[in-house]
Amino acid sequence: MSGQKALSRFHQPIQVPGRRLIHHVPLPFVVKKAVGGGQRSVNQEIPLIPFIDFLLCIVLFLLASFSASGELPIDKNVRLPKAENVIDMTEAPMVAITGNQIIVDGTAAGSTRTIEDANRMQRVDELFGILKNKRELWKQVNPGKEFPGVAVLQVDRRVTALVVKSVFQTAAMAGYPSISFMVGRLGKGN
Amino acid sequence: MAGIDVGGHGGKRNLNHEIPLIPFIDFLLCLVAFLLVTAVWSQMARINADAKVPGPPRPDEPDEIKPEKELHVEMRGDKKFQLVWKEGATVVNTIDVDRKAVNMGTEGDITFPALAEKVTSEWKNNGNHKAPTDKKFDRAVLHTDNSTPFSDVIAVIDAVYAPQRDFTLGAKAQKLPAFNLTFAVN
Repeated sequence: MSGQKALSRFHQPIQVPGRRLIHHVPLPFVVKKAVGGGQRSVNQEIPLIPFIDFLLCIVLFLLASFSASGELPIDKNVRLPKAENVIDMTEAPMVAITGNQIIVDGTAAGSTRTIEDANRMQRVDELFGILKNKRELWKQVNPGKEFPGVAVLQVDRRVTALVVKSVFQTAAMAGYPSISFMVGRLGKGN
Repeated sequence: MAGIDVGGHGGKRNLNHEIPLIPFIDFLLCLVAFLLVTAVWSQMARINADAKVPGPPRPDEPDEIKPEKELHVEMRGDKKFQLVWKEGATVVNTIDVDRKAVNMGTEGDITFPALAEKVTSEWKNNGNHKAPTDKKFDRAVLHTDNSTPFSDVIAVIDAVYAPQRDFTLGAKAQKLPAFNLTFAVN
């Protein structure tokens, strides 16, 4: 007998699948909720229109701040100082002055050691030649136009004033009288 | 999803159309990704200096041109700056300003707010070119030691450029530094 009773545990009729849980609770409103007889659909629509609006706003903002000219080439050996009373950058030949080298648009154009050893302001001949060639080239490409004469100096913060003044003077002699120093923007509230 | 319902079902072909929003969202996401990758978040700016020096006199120029007042900024001392107003070789006025550097940020940047304040008040009292339509700018000349680090030089130039004036060129009005700065040779 005891053996038959044990087997009857496994003898179950095949039933229609469906929800079983909480069916035997004698509270009708609980059974109704459990069975899923509610009125609201469980499916949800994802609100795509606000999402598209959001994406369009981002696209418009990024397009407004897009710069086709790309990033400004800053020499990795140059640590620029910062200043408050600044103006926006302009496109011009870049002269970088690192601790021991002068570079024009990536090309070496002299050494700062030579100036420091001489201990007096002097013209940097290599730089003068390169800048003069750039000026001539600009005039050939833009005939009849007035040469703007703007050059931008990227000077490391530790470079001495003697080197800066020598490069400044050299650029002026090569036909670039309007020199700009590239700096970081310092907020007024900093 | 979004669709266009033109109503009516009399025709043979259904005229209602679903707008394909998913490809459109994909396209927008690609655009956002591209623009984010190529965005330039540069904080670089520039400070102008001027190396224009008066050339030899032209024959059609009048013999006597009254020299304008120039502000010479001496930064050779350790304890003070000297502001010297000069008319040609004549010294008009000399003002001493304490050399008090204020540290900005953690990278060793400094400013000289006392110098900026004094230069601003001096320009208000003695500046020659203040009208917005005036194309000329007052001139400042910076005298510095050969061994001065560039960061100090920029801090002084920044202070000299503190006074700003209105400048109108055609229909475009803007605020620009009141002084045009150049370096003294010696």
